[in-house]
Amino acid sequence: MKKVEKKRILVVEDESHIAEGLKLNLALQGYDVMITPDGVSGLDQWKKWQPDLIILDIMLPGIDGLSVLQSIRLENERIPILILSAKSAIDDKVKGLSYGVDDYLAKPFDLEELLLRIERLLTQASWYRKNGDSNGIESFSSERTYTFGGNRIDFELSVAYCKRGEICLTEQEVRLLKLFIANKGKPISRSKILGIGWGYTGSMATRTVDNFMVRFRKYFEVDPKKPVYFKSLRSVGYIFDHD
Amino acid sequence: MEQAITRTKWFFHPIFIFIFSTVALATSLILYIYWYMEVSTGLKEVAQKFNLDHGQLLESETWVVILILSILVGIILIGIFIIFVYNQKTIQLYRLQHNFINNFTHELKTPVTSLKLYLETFMKHEFSRDDQKKYLDYMVQDVGRLSENINRILNLARIESKIYGEEFVIVDLLSTVEQFITDNDHLFQNCIINTHNSSGRSFPYRINMSLFDMLLMNLMTNAVKYNKSEKPRIDIIFKLYHRRLHIRFEDNGIGIEKTEIKKIFKKFYQSGRADDMTARGSGLGLHLVQNIARIHKGKVVAQSNGRGKGSVFTVMLPFKF
Repeated sequence: MKKVEKKRILVVEDESHIAEGLKLNLALQGYDVMITPDGVSGLDQWKKWQPDLIILDIMLPGIDGLSVLQSIRLENERIPILILSAKSAIDDKVKGLSYGVDDYLAKPFDLEELLLRIERLLTQASWYRKNGDSNGIESFSSERTYTFGGNRIDFELSVAYCKRGEICLTEQEVRLLKLFIANKGKPISRSKILGIGWGYTGSMATRTVDNFMVRFRKYFEVDPKKPVYFKSLRSVGYIFDHD
Repeated sequence: MEQAITRTKWFFHPIFIFIFSTVALATSLILYIYWYMEVSTGLKEVAQKFNLDHGQLLESETWVVILILSILVGIILIGIFIIFVYNQKTIQLYRLQHNFINNFTHELKTPVTSLKLYLETFMKHEFSRDDQKKYLDYMVQDVGRLSENINRILNLARIESKIYGEEFVIVDLLSTVEQFITDNDHLFQNCIINTHNSSGRSFPYRINMSLFDMLLMNLMTNAVKYNKSEKPRIDIIFKLYHRRLHIRFEDNGIGIEKTEIKKIFKKFYQSGRADDMTARGSGLGLHLVQNIARIHKGKVVAQSNGRGKGSVFTVMLPFKF
């Protein structure tokens, strides 16, 4: 029999005791486990280490777990993510699920239940991998193109068709557009955009966000001085909306 | 629940309701007076027409009516204002409590989660003695954290319901502080703690031992907890100022932002934001400290030159010498 490669699990948890306990148990189950104590390093390791599953805490220093989740979902709809949080209210669970988490367990959790759910999530993920998608392209699950006003965005080709003609979008522009579309009609703060879109925190670089907004308005607004789609909200951030 | 408050329409906002009702009241006052004047001039004309000598009488009445109306409207206005202020306070308290529940849920659930995790792991697997000891150590720490949190809540409840248990006794404060430091030296292992008393005398004072210990515990663990220096340092200085005894706790910790100095004593207040967990703990410690100082007829004042510059907490007690 061919030796099966160990499945990798990334644990993003700032409480060292819990993180180590999880690592211990998962390692005993035969998984390869890595612990990161905050959101920024979690995103970093997700890209570098390519885990098969992520266990995520919500209350983390720096970028919180929900932002980490959103950030990952902008690029990868498939990787199984399980939230493990002390927040057990229905509202919190619904919020997590609406951002695209696969499973949500409240702390204190049952060890056996957690292990079984993880096993199940990994099995399901392996089915996807077998059934097609052998071309390796991670498709943006729901729609390939998105239309608003006279603009159309093709996410597969990273091209925008707008009043200025055809524009090739950069990777970062695509990420931000996906973020705005996913949050249509809801205000997003600059720091949130920065956390989800770029994966870092701090108030210094919020200018970067503004620069991108200037660019989007140039692409998509009829009159960039009087934006209709990408509006700014004073002392809050930005809101994307259309009919 | 919180979202229900923030997401309501702007015209339901208490400030707008307050402004609307004030404007409505003012308008109605003007209208009352206007109509009254109109009616009274009408009456006057009627009186003149029929040659009745009521003009004098009406003149003096007008001012009395306006005065009474204004006073009544003024009282209603004050009433609205008081209700408005109370309402604002309630909302503020609600937010604080929400913050507290959020923080405390986390503080209580984290050690419980860890304990449960390790206990279940132990039931499932066998470990070597060394591993066992390591994980048991974690569990002991978690139990410590849990009981510390439970104690804080219970202490607050006791102080707020004014059940202190033990009697007040007269002891020397300096030796009480020194005794406290030796009793708890396991908490301050890496720290330099010095007491200074330039007057060279003793400070007999009536205190409740368990409460005073709680005050010292909170002030001193804060000095160490919010401290990034390699060697945390606490200087405890006893000084007498006109009929007052000042006990200064000076540390070399992270300091306090100017804008936060007044807020840190509020119940449930946590420096740092609640959502990103730079805030840890219950937000009760300094609130307890302030309450305990009040029970001892004194108060606690915080000073700091800003972030990174250490902070000073001064316990001020009335003292005759």
